[in-house]
Amino acid sequence: MDEILDGLTQIDCDILVIGGGTAGPMAALKAKKKNPGANVVLLDKANVKRSGAISMGMDGLNNSVIPGYATPEQYTKEITIANDGIVDQKPVYRYAEECYGIIKELDSFGIRFQKDQNGEYDVKKVHHIGTYVLPMPNGDTVKKALYRQLRKARISVVNRYMATRLLTGEGRVAGAVCVNTRTAEFLVIRAKAVIMGLGAAGRLGLPTSGYLYGTYENPSNSGEGYAMAYHAGAGLANLECYQINPLIKDYNGPACAYVAGPMGGYTSNAQGERFIECDYWSGQMMQEFYDELQSGKGPVFLKLNHLAEETVAEIEKVLHIVERPTRGHFHAGRGTDYRKQMIEMHISEIGFCSGHSASGVFVDEHARTTIPGLYAAGDMANVPHNYMLGAFTHGAFAGEDAADFMGEVDFAEFDLADVEAERARVLAPTKRDDGIPPNQIEYKTRRLVNDYLQPPKVTAKMELAQKRFAEVREDMEQGMHVRDAHELMRSLEAASILDCADMAAAASLYRTESRWGLYHNRVEYARDDENWFCHTLLTKGADGRPAHEKREVQPYVVDIAEDEKDAYYKQRVDASVAAE
Amino acid sequence: MTAIFEDFSDIDDLAEGLDDPSPGARIMAVIELADSADPDAIPHLARAITDTDAGVRKQAAQALTDFDGPETAAALVDALSDPEAEVREAAAVSLTELKDPASGDAILPHLGSQDEFVLTACLAGIKELRRPEAMEPAIAALASPSQVVRVQAVGVMGWLQDEASLPALCGAARDPEIPVRKAALLALGFSSSEAAQAALAAGLQDPEWQVREAAAETLAKSGGSGCVAALTGALADDFWQVRLKAVRSLGRLGATGAAMQIGPMMDLPIPNLRKECAAVLGELAVPETRRFLDPYADDTDPDVRKNVRWALDRIAAA
Amino acid sequence: MPLAQTATSVPVTIDDAKCIADKGCTVCVDVCPLDVLRIKELADGTKTAYMKYDECWYCMPCEADCPTGAVTVTIPYLLK
Repeated sequence: MDEILDGLTQIDCDILVIGGGTAGPMAALKAKKKNPGANVVLLDKANVKRSGAISMGMDGLNNSVIPGYATPEQYTKEITIANDGIVDQKPVYRYAEECYGIIKELDSFGIRFQKDQNGEYDVKKVHHIGTYVLPMPNGDTVKKALYRQLRKARISVVNRYMATRLLTGEGRVAGAVCVNTRTAEFLVIRAKAVIMGLGAAGRLGLPTSGYLYGTYENPSNSGEGYAMAYHAGAGLANLECYQINPLIKDYNGPACAYVAGPMGGYTSNAQGERFIECDYWSGQMMQEFYDELQSGKGPVFLKLNHLAEETVAEIEKVLHIVERPTRGHFHAGRGTDYRKQMIEMHISEIGFCSGHSASGVFVDEHARTTIPGLYAAGDMANVPHNYMLGAFTHGAFAGEDAADFMGEVDFAEFDLADVEAERARVLAPTKRDDGIPPNQIEYKTRRLVNDYLQPPKVTAKMELAQKRFAEVREDMEQGMHVRDAHELMRSLEAASILDCADMAAAASLYRTESRWGLYHNRVEYARDDENWFCHTLLTKGADGRPAHEKREVQPYVVDIAEDEKDAYYKQRVDASVAAE
Repeated sequence: MTAIFEDFSDIDDLAEGLDDPSPGARIMAVIELADSADPDAIPHLARAITDTDAGVRKQAAQALTDFDGPETAAALVDALSDPEAEVREAAAVSLTELKDPASGDAILPHLGSQDEFVLTACLAGIKELRRPEAMEPAIAALASPSQVVRVQAVGVMGWLQDEASLPALCGAARDPEIPVRKAALLALGFSSSEAAQAALAAGLQDPEWQVREAAAETLAKSGGSGCVAALTGALADDFWQVRLKAVRSLGRLGATGAAMQIGPMMDLPIPNLRKECAAVLGELAVPETRRFLDPYADDTDPDVRKNVRWALDRIAAA
Repeated sequence: MPLAQTATSVPVTIDDAKCIADKGCTVCVDVCPLDVLRIKELADGTKTAYMKYDECWYCMPCEADCPTGAVTVTIPYLLK
């Protein structure tokens, strides 16, 4: 295994789904259900059994909109406020209306949600307004249940092939070029529609531990979706709205305040006091977190030691079994115990991920990108604060729409020279006798991301980053060397990471204001609604460099009252008291 | 060229691996049969779950999670009596994954089992299948000396949501063991009958705080105005966890009459409780409670502060 | 630029005595999202899984899905 082989095969399918994590399997299932005659191929660079952000499971739904607990209007309003108003509400609203149906469907798959002693969903109130959290104490079965459905539906699964570039022609998508991660053999897949569910760009910043793979996100989510969409000419929205998440320091896994919150746990400063003003997860919340970390009251902790033993034991059971089960090992190694002391927290390295923020490939309420026939869903599509349920739900939208689209078109013609050019690009590092290994290219890119792109953002630093990235790119293109097919996969990932780093710098420089709290805190600029109450859309320009345009925020479906718009700022100590 | 697609092998071909002399090879055959997700694999897995090697049996018990129906259930129920604990436990977990009510056909006959482990697992398995025939055996199981059995029996009744089980559930609410009492009170949430309300109100007097907490929480689900007095009494509980649930339930019940009792709790030094009190005072929006909230509009705890401000807004708008 | 070999301690360990790679098992290799595990031949001619690439997310499917309990995942030293 891993020996580099020569080979190229071409296959055809009606719908190609790239990414077998969360959105992808749902898209494939829905497409097949809507059009049972369709030839649907689901491709993953890992194995769909255990791929993607939820490879080990998920401990709960953070954004379930269940009748009786929350309404689509309320949820849409919440998301709009949390994103400083820069939201196309239609996809959010459609999600909110249809996600309950998806929950029930997942339930029928055998994915387990917490139910009370009457067999009803045990939805928890975490936020100030609205009740959205549905725990999944047995959420370690998610992938297994999905896999079972894929097998039952006889979806054609392709594992260990990595898509490297999309093919386009006739103004729409035509397929993808893929390479085997263990043999370097090529696979060209012609498709009438392509659905991308490739996850976050989670390997963009470098974790404070310095371990390349110690990322918040599953490090196999290295931003290929973003890079492929970019090179194919699709628009990417609001990339400057980075993902930065609170986490358990060093372990770098989620702190899971949504698990501990309903049971009385909370995020505190070193004095054991709550300090987060924001109600809903947002860049503003992360700014507050960052400020506390930098202040004399830092660092920040997960506080559970005020809870009863029985309660802690219950929290521990979920946190140590489900989403990141090695968390128990980590605490054991450190000698830390939720009962005895508060657990140190930190913030994550930066990344792109709309699952938690809003940086992603631009899509509408049908999960359509700006390229006909090309869809995106999940962490890589720009519907904000999507989380896992959003990936499933928008994956479903994509699958259904693609099933219709493929019925109306034949394969688009593409230029064979594109395939040859891509082969040459991919294989270049195999043609050298020695050179720079991909891990060094990657380390340097990500170290520079930390040095220059991490907020607070400074213009001169970001411009320096661009200069240094260009140098790394030159080294990568002229001097990168790989010894086997596995390293070849890493070299392709390094290229995607560098593309994402370039996009992050360019997008951040374009928006000359501050917005979304820490996510786009440009210290030289204040928020500027007059000029920047809009999306930014990044595309690949004619010169091969990122090009930018503003895109209007679509008229709201759910009105936001003037006094609600700045709900988070109103809660600050220095704000005037509303009553009197 | 390396194979491109995951294959869909013939089930009988895969099953041949179950006859391999090596247990490791038989384990692999079990895994492949499970991955097929093809119901034709069930009889083969039912055979593998009786293999001579415990590792194979355990793998087969796990593999059956991927399937459903009476045949799967029957194989799993049999495995509950396996000599090896790891096999029994895997089978018990898989039993709770069944979704098809017809699977219950294989479980129902075992609901009278004298074996504690078998009975617990069968009750847990039948619970989510919501088979009405399970109610009588569940009631009978309350006589079991094992508290885990009794907890599961209560669960079966709670999921069935049949008023006929009320006398049994009310009885279980007085069980000597804490987990049984707690489960029974939570299970009573489906009923707004007088009997259920009385049992829940009595639960607020339980000597154990977790039981009182469960009662306080559940009263919001099914309780009417009749339980307001009992919940108001729980505001003086020794445990903040109980008080917190009582406050929350009073909010959900719209018990404006309790607002003046909740107000003074804003002064207590327990952040979680103060936060909940402020939120509930906002929900109840009783103008007279403003004086309890006013002092905390600039509280140092942001969660308290934002709820207080929200509550004051609500009161002002009322 | 010539390459050097730098030692690194890896977080995934396999109990060779329990591993059934010899029987064709590749479960841990299959489920690793980072594809860092491989099968190798031991001195006695039998096979076992091992961690070939130090690129671990300590996510645990390898340990959880191993049919014989042969895999142990620890926290990588740099963040332990």
